[in-house]
Amino acid sequence: MTEAERPVIDAAKLPSITFGYHGTTWWATAAFMVIEGTTLIVLLVSYVYLRRNFVEWPPPPTALPDLLVPTINLALLLFTIVPMALARRAAHSLDLHGVRVFLVSAVLLAAVTVVLRGFEFAALNVRWDSDAYGSSLWMLLGLHTTLLVIDLLESGAIAALMFSKGREPKHFVDVEEAAVYQWFLSISYVPVYVLIFLGPRLL
Amino acid sequence: MSTDEVLASERRQLDETWSGRPGFIGWLTSVDHKSIGRRYIVTALVFFALAGIDALVMRLQLATPESELLGPDLYNQFFTVHGTTMMFLFAVPIVEALGIYFVPLMIGARNVAYPRLNALGYWVYLIGGVFLWTSFAIGVGPDTGWFSYVPLSGPEFTPGKRADVWAQTVTFTEIAALIAAVEIIVTTFKLRAPGMTLNRLPLFVWSMLVTAFMVLFAMSTVATASIMLALDRLVGMHFFNPAEGGDPLLWQHLFWFFGHPEVYIIFLPATGMISTVLPAFTRRPVFGYTILVFALLTTGFMSFALWVHHMLTTGIPHHGSSFFTAASILIAIPSGIQVFCWIASIWSGRPVFRTPLLFVAGFLFMFVMGGLTGVMVAAIPFDQQVHDTFFVVAHFHYVLVGGSVFPIFAAIYYWFPKLTGRMLSETLGRWHFGLFFAGLNLTFFPMHALGLAGMPRRVYTYRDELGWGDLNLLATIGAIVLALGVVVFAVNVVTSLRRGESAPDDPWGADSLEWATSSPPPAYNFHPVPAVGSRSPMWSAPPDLPQVTGLAFDKMEQLVTSTLDAVPDNRQEMPGPTIWPFVAALAIGVTFITSIFTPWGAVLGAALLLPPLLKWGWPKPKHEVHA
Amino acid sequence: MRSRLHCAGWAIAAAALGGCEGIQSALDPAGPHAALIARETGYLFAMAGTVFTIVMLALAYALFHRRAGRQPVADGTLARWVGGALAVTVVILLVNLVVDLRTQRALAGIGSDEALSIEVTGHQWWWEVEYVHEQPSRRLRTANEIHIPAGRPVLIELRSADVIHSFWVPKLHGKHDMIPGYTRTIRLQADAPGVFRGECAEFCGHQHANMALYVIAHPVEEFDRWYAQQLLPAPPPADAHAEAGQRVFLSKPCIVCHTIRGTPAGGRAAPDLTHLASRRTLAAGTLPNTREHLAGWVLDPHSAKPGVRMPQNRLSRNELDALLTYLEGLR
Repeated sequence: MTEAERPVIDAAKLPSITFGYHGTTWWATAAFMVIEGTTLIVLLVSYVYLRRNFVEWPPPPTALPDLLVPTINLALLLFTIVPMALARRAAHSLDLHGVRVFLVSAVLLAAVTVVLRGFEFAALNVRWDSDAYGSSLWMLLGLHTTLLVIDLLESGAIAALMFSKGREPKHFVDVEEAAVYQWFLSISYVPVYVLIFLGPRLL
Repeated sequence: MSTDEVLASERRQLDETWSGRPGFIGWLTSVDHKSIGRRYIVTALVFFALAGIDALVMRLQLATPESELLGPDLYNQFFTVHGTTMMFLFAVPIVEALGIYFVPLMIGARNVAYPRLNALGYWVYLIGGVFLWTSFAIGVGPDTGWFSYVPLSGPEFTPGKRADVWAQTVTFTEIAALIAAVEIIVTTFKLRAPGMTLNRLPLFVWSMLVTAFMVLFAMSTVATASIMLALDRLVGMHFFNPAEGGDPLLWQHLFWFFGHPEVYIIFLPATGMISTVLPAFTRRPVFGYTILVFALLTTGFMSFALWVHHMLTTGIPHHGSSFFTAASILIAIPSGIQVFCWIASIWSGRPVFRTPLLFVAGFLFMFVMGGLTGVMVAAIPFDQQVHDTFFVVAHFHYVLVGGSVFPIFAAIYYWFPKLTGRMLSETLGRWHFGLFFAGLNLTFFPMHALGLAGMPRRVYTYRDELGWGDLNLLATIGAIVLALGVVVFAVNVVTSLRRGESAPDDPWGADSLEWATSSPPPAYNFHPVPAVGSRSPMWSAPPDLPQVTGLAFDKMEQLVTSTLDAVPDNRQEMPGPTIWPFVAALAIGVTFITSIFTPWGAVLGAALLLPPLLKWGWPKPKHEVHA
Repeated sequence: MRSRLHCAGWAIAAAALGGCEGIQSALDPAGPHAALIARETGYLFAMAGTVFTIVMLALAYALFHRRAGRQPVADGTLARWVGGALAVTVVILLVNLVVDLRTQRALAGIGSDEALSIEVTGHQWWWEVEYVHEQPSRRLRTANEIHIPAGRPVLIELRSADVIHSFWVPKLHGKHDMIPGYTRTIRLQADAPGVFRGECAEFCGHQHANMALYVIAHPVEEFDRWYAQQLLPAPPPADAHAEAGQRVFLSKPCIVCHTIRGTPAGGRAAPDLTHLASRRTLAAGTLPNTREHLAGWVLDPHSAKPGVRMPQNRLSRNELDALLTYLEGLR
């Protein structure tokens, strides 16, 4: 049998954009979420580990962290899931207008959460270099903030792409990726919030 | 036109589409996994040689008691840089390098899933390695050990920049390792040839897949820990400072939660190489495919339950330590199974005594020895005697050099023809093996006795009256023999590249897909893109090798298949060459290095990093919007 | 004698050339803890040696049997052999676990009626040794040598003043880390009078290699005499020359770090020198305690122990001579 006689699989009719786990983007996003999730877990575990070295948490005379701004921001972060979900749905149906509306709303919301985050650091009521308690809080919040800022830039860039001439259909896949990643950040803030702002009250 | 002529013209067209730019710019902008993989391999081998020379100098220092060749200041830098380089700049990068080069070829893909990210990973790794060795050369090499225990490595006891160099090197290389892991996972899951279901996946690819998952968890942990250390040192945080509620044992937990899996991150791909090399030199598929995959998976899982056995002398609670002893003993089971399966394959096969098989046999000798001393040190009372002595140095060199470097050499002799289109010399290969094997045993076997005689690790000198001189001298002689072996290897590579016998597509009559294309492979890897119907596609009759048509010739298109069963699913356009990963890596380098001197380095770095990252993903305006 | 025989056995097992002699060998135990561990060591070497030999024979057979015309072996046969080997592996590992747990239990059960308790604190790069007593006046601080009564268990509390160190006297017991912020305890016992050397076993910086200590076991009465003698303040200078030496000591920076009980010198950053002349070595096992070495050490500690915390001292010939005479009188 020569080359030409071998059975043939024709790839020409296969689609060139796919969403979800059919494509490669979904898997890479998942892998990066595993990496960042592990990092968060390491910091959460370190927090609990270091807690054992203290009689009182926060150690006196450190004040408890404030709750108002962080709670508002938590609610806002969780709410951002909604416009991102709508943007994702619009992307699935290749609806450019829908993507533009919802993605831009989500990015604006995310920008507000980043600004509020600045006030959350003030709400900690402790400096990073005062003791291990302060270091744990700053590190946890700092990591989440870093991810938040990176995600804001990325989502912002994708939103800008939706208004640019170079846009191609395959970029709808990036919208989905931005949405999934935003969900991860919103949901991962729950344990961070609990440990940082409720932990000193409960532990 | 005849079918052959059609094929030839199609290949010319593909070559034009897939080839990068020529010259130095082409080298900087390349995103071809073969080009990245090749330079990754060469870089890792250069670091291997450097760390080897470093070790040789340490052996010369220890050859005689109370020697004055190196003072403590230099010696401590030497052993820290040796360990850091071997672990972070050689052992992990070389397996990832081989993975980046060969995983796509073994699964019938045309590139890795994220070619640009892949290039970024290499550049970050290179910058990290050059940073460490430059610091070492100008006298600020890290000197607190490759494990950098706090509080010794903290701001109080290591002022200056040495420990920062260590922490940043680790962060650099972990970023590179994480990137490679993501590449390998996504490539393996999505870019396999049609028909290559997971249970037909070559064992090397399986081992890289399991390793990549381990890297995700282990390397994220150590990267986080090294950032915490850097923050303790640079901005006055207190994670590890007992005076402010921090805890030195937290560092040890985090470090070994990475450090133990690290051993298997190095070892599992090596087992994959053994399982890949054996079929070609025993003329049969390796025995026990399913069991071997199962062993890889269980080893991967269990390796995360072992970290405390590096801390048995720290006085952790008793019942806890028994659990870790049991786990350390149990992990011998999957390793044992693998050894038995390999021996069974050799037994029922027809051994072909070429250099790769010699290295496989040497591997089995060394690894069984190191594995058994590993079972010994899992016993807590015995470990309390030999922990941090030369016994442990002997043990882990048998495991790491025997268990990983031997398979890597076997794999290099095996894959060299594919990489370069030339065969390595068999005669020099035998000399290389003989010197290396004898040298290793001469160097490290006496260290078992030294450890039991009371010689601790990481000492730059020892008293004559303790009677350790003879064995140390023997070990140093061994190290010289070992080094000669590596020199022979280097000579073999250089001469074979110039004058070596030229290699056919499949010089060994091997069974996996990388041998289905030319040596070295073209830029597009395969045309026609193969499909497979068995675990040993090259040993199957043509019906098992259908071909894929319908991929574009004028675009860089890759077939994407389903995760479990490798059913064709969609087509993906792959990105072409670009300079931005290189620029982004430079920005990351500037960030890490300047942040040693000022926290504003992080801000500066972010500002530098933004433009290349935006340019990287931003499409070139090619055609009008059609969505 | 029995331990000699044991020792010979291990030596063969480990192919050790020099592992059994010396005052720092784990294979030549001098106390019940180290003896139990040496017994476990013997078992482990026997196990490892046997398994290694068998596996290598199997490998050799697999490689070289029936060179010509090898027939492939049926997969079923291979599976049976691999399965059998696996079963044997599991059994051996279980036996290991049992041996290990039994050894641990036996170690935990060794005498708890301690004759005395001693706090040992690791410093970069020396050992602070303090004998605990209910009466503060009977507490005793010394350095780099631990004197114990033979045949009696002693309780040792391990601490660190700076970085992590590890306390290890191989002939008596395995090592235990000294971690800042933590206190660990171990028990030691020497069967008979003797001198046992130990070394810091956790890398602790520049002079990790020169951080040795000696455990000296005495017959009980001799130990009591030693203890009583050490409790005394430093003897007054014997003559005018020594008195001049004391003035040198007290007028130089020495007193910032060192204590000599009975004088105003009360520094705690460095070893207590009250009975310096009774010790075997200088600078934690770095130098033999002789007048020449002491002179070199006082003038330039960094030539023998580069990086040590002690500064160089500028002394005139006369000052040095007097100081040495004074220090040599600190028995």
